[in-house]
Amino acid sequence: MKKYLLALVVLLALILAACGDNGADDEAVEADAEATETESSDATESESSETASDWEPEEAIEFIAPAGAGGGWDTTARMAAQVFSEEGIIDQPIGVVNMEGGGGAEAWAHVAGFEGNPYKIFVSSPPIIFVPLNGQSEYGHEDFTPLANIIADYAAFAVRADAKWDSITELFEDMKEDPESITVVGASSPGSMDHMQFVQIAKAAGVDITKIRYVSAQDGGGMTQLLNGSVDVYSTGVAETVEQVRAGNIKVLGITSEERLEGEVLEDFPTVKEQGIDETFVNWRGFFGPPNMPPEAVAYYETKFKELSDSDAFAEIRSQFGWDEFYMNSEEYSKFLDEQKEVLAELMDELGLGN
Amino acid sequence: MGSLEGIITGFQTAFSFEAILFVLIGVFVGTIIGMLPGLGPISAIAIMIPMTFGMEPSVALIMMAGVYYGAIFGGSTSSILLNAPGVSGTVATAFDGYPMAQQGKAGKALAIVAIASFVGGTVSVVLLMLLAPALSSVAISFGPPAYFALMVLGFTAIASLSEGSTIKALISAVAGFMVVTIGIDAQTGTQRFTFGSINLLDGIDFLVIALGLFAIAEVCTLVLNRKDNTMKNFHNIGSLRLSKQDFKEMSGPMSRQSLLGFIIGVLPGAGATIASFIAYITEKRISKKPEEFGKGSVKGLAAPETANNAATSGSFVPLLSLGIPGSGTTAVMLGAFLVMGVQPGPMLMTERPEIFWGVIASMYIGNVFLLILNLPLIPYFAKVLKIPRPMLISLVVVFSMIGVYAVSFNTFDLYMLLLFGAIGFIMRLFSFPAPPFILAFILGGMLEQSFRQSLTISNGDLSIFITNPISCALLILSLLSFAFPLYGQLRKKKVS
Amino acid sequence: MLKTVNQRVSLVLLLIAIFYLIFAYKMPSFPYVIVDADLIPKVLGYLLIFLAVLLFFTKNDETDEQKAKRNIPKKEIGMLFGVGGFILLYIMFLEILGFVLVTALFIYFCSWFLGYKNHIANALVSILLPVSLYLMFTELLKMNLPSGILPF
Repeated sequence: MKKYLLALVVLLALILAACGDNGADDEAVEADAEATETESSDATESESSETASDWEPEEAIEFIAPAGAGGGWDTTARMAAQVFSEEGIIDQPIGVVNMEGGGGAEAWAHVAGFEGNPYKIFVSSPPIIFVPLNGQSEYGHEDFTPLANIIADYAAFAVRADAKWDSITELFEDMKEDPESITVVGASSPGSMDHMQFVQIAKAAGVDITKIRYVSAQDGGGMTQLLNGSVDVYSTGVAETVEQVRAGNIKVLGITSEERLEGEVLEDFPTVKEQGIDETFVNWRGFFGPPNMPPEAVAYYETKFKELSDSDAFAEIRSQFGWDEFYMNSEEYSKFLDEQKEVLAELMDELGLGN
Repeated sequence: MGSLEGIITGFQTAFSFEAILFVLIGVFVGTIIGMLPGLGPISAIAIMIPMTFGMEPSVALIMMAGVYYGAIFGGSTSSILLNAPGVSGTVATAFDGYPMAQQGKAGKALAIVAIASFVGGTVSVVLLMLLAPALSSVAISFGPPAYFALMVLGFTAIASLSEGSTIKALISAVAGFMVVTIGIDAQTGTQRFTFGSINLLDGIDFLVIALGLFAIAEVCTLVLNRKDNTMKNFHNIGSLRLSKQDFKEMSGPMSRQSLLGFIIGVLPGAGATIASFIAYITEKRISKKPEEFGKGSVKGLAAPETANNAATSGSFVPLLSLGIPGSGTTAVMLGAFLVMGVQPGPMLMTERPEIFWGVIASMYIGNVFLLILNLPLIPYFAKVLKIPRPMLISLVVVFSMIGVYAVSFNTFDLYMLLLFGAIGFIMRLFSFPAPPFILAFILGGMLEQSFRQSLTISNGDLSIFITNPISCALLILSLLSFAFPLYGQLRKKKVS
Repeated sequence: MLKTVNQRVSLVLLLIAIFYLIFAYKMPSFPYVIVDADLIPKVLGYLLIFLAVLLFFTKNDETDEQKAKRNIPKKEIGMLFGVGGFILLYIMFLEILGFVLVTALFIYFCSWFLGYKNHIANALVSILLPVSLYLMFTELLKMNLPSGILPF
């Protein structure tokens, strides 16, 4: 008798922990409730339910983040799920599931097996184009049902504050003359985002893209290597550069958005476009469903994601993470994705990376 | 605002009633989650993020930091009791902790760990407070060549991690290195040894290796010895009593490794795991009785535990003062800051001193709480070992399975766990040591990547490893650390 | 020829090294880096061959205690495979039957198989532990474990 009681001591501790947890949870929820009360007075809750199509979810919805906790996909999925529930946009519970593996490939293979299922939704971004092009996934965006895009992020190319280049054109001029003297660092492997966003812009500027020297460094290594002078250029997202720019350690030579961004510091970043390179790169992020999702369900999610994108609560989250608003409905999204894939496939072929 | 004023603001924030309450909740939840094999700081932080919505940012972040170091603090329990390291930073803890527990001294082992963790945590917070602004330049001083040299230094430890045959230890290490080459290569995007399986694209997870080679292999041994009832007869298994001698032995490793662990923790990408291994190895090297290591040595247990906790505080330097996350865990921590609308980076200390210094100051309180919370629980935890063997075996298997499953939610990894369990058991049968395997697995990836990054930067010129002063110094140190024991052995042979 | 344990082990290692090297040589090359993805694997492969050859000619220096570990009675080997089989079944049915059911069955039958005779205690642990773990994961930690065929 005594033996298994002892075995359960561990459990007891866990239950104790549960109480601790709950305490925090309750308070947080309470505080949240207060916050939303003041905000949601002008929210547009009632309109949508009538304009929405005749399909309604009848069970819990699953949001899949095809990566581990804490990354961009995970954050987007969790934030969207939170706003959906707290603002009462979707009544059914939404569970966020992390499915890490193969840079997304494992989750895509998983979702592809749920043909027509309107309850399995995953978040994605440009890797769903890169990864299949690199031959690392048999599924690409065309195998799924794009529901809606919601946010956009842009690439930034940074150099040390004391570097000799003051504009992206100066950098590219040097790269045209002696491409081997300049090293670019990014977090992803060649043929994926940080590499290809640089390649795409450099190509438009007339640099020989087969000669670009690119180093991949994980775990914050990119910024470290830029700051300590190991490499010359850091290809990353806009948000990652802001603090170091403010501290005067680095400068951003160019960002890849159509127009300048808004906000303190951000507004000072010149676009590559205004510097005479007619090219943009969008790190878009949106949601997809399994293959052949019923059109009524697609219409339902389209309206719901539009509502999400327009809500004040989500606007606040966007500004917190430095994301840009970028809504596209299912049809626009599919077309956009097809165009993106074409452009990138061509670049990859030129680099000899395409499979 | 001067930094003294900032520190005072920080203490005011950290010692407010609310902050103290939430640091308590944070460290408590952290230790509990950390104790479960497989659930480490990453899951603990990610799980707690939604609970912080609407909280005051400084208080929320103080709690999250508590969750983080609490999870590291708690991670050692399953290493010691079940030989199942749930967090990579506690693998080295199992080397001496598990043998000590098997000798009926589980309570003592857990007490040593609690004290060593407390000392490592507290000393490093003092260092953090005094040196954080200055150390941000140290954090970025390591370029790829320097990391390569640091990994080489780690590799020189392989020979000292084995009893008996050096050849077998080297074979284990090569095998561990081979396993880490599985997956997509970061520098080229090439798929290596994936055999067309998408499950292998990301390589094999650390937990699969650690729980397979240690926990599941140990399960096999336990199955064979299931009728062994010695554990039942140890009456003082939960006793915390440490002798004066124990404290004397611990003091050396604790003072040295608090400092060393902290410095290694400051380097992005190095972190608690590497710190704990380097701590273990250095203590074994300088010990007068290295033969005790691996058999339940007090020093061998205190060293890695001091270091991994010190390194955890150290990892806050690049995170807070540069906004650079040096590991998967600190990346999630960075996410927690962003959720609260706080951007860590070079401006944080001047613009949000209450957060920068508040988080640091709260670690003093957090560490005290951890010690107070953990010590009384030890006797109960230790009694886990008194569970009848057949039941204990089933439970270890179940906990290992959940731990691995919770990482990827994919049964493929569970099959791999079983496979590595079998490999681990076969290695035991033929006296191939597991520690070099896991060391090579942990260091190998970074060794290869930093080697190739360096050569891309230098255009293939190998002299980059010599011209970089840090790298040069570390390589000389590696050479010495390799040659020194060899020289000693040769001399011994001559004498005899 | 293959008299000693070391020689037999060495042969197995040689086979592993050759297998590994074959795949290392089959890797596609990537044109834009100085050190390609196949260098380190090739070095490791040859290193293992070298070490295996060394092992082949090394005298076995294991202690008697270490040698004794390999003398496992036939019945015990059966036990090991039995537990391995249970684990295999556990993995196969985890996502079909769900976490709670599979874990309960595993703990009960595995403990019984290994000689645990107290059936009441066994049943209690087998039911309480999976249920509490399941609730903790799904309710508190918000991580979904497979629910399987049970209604909750």
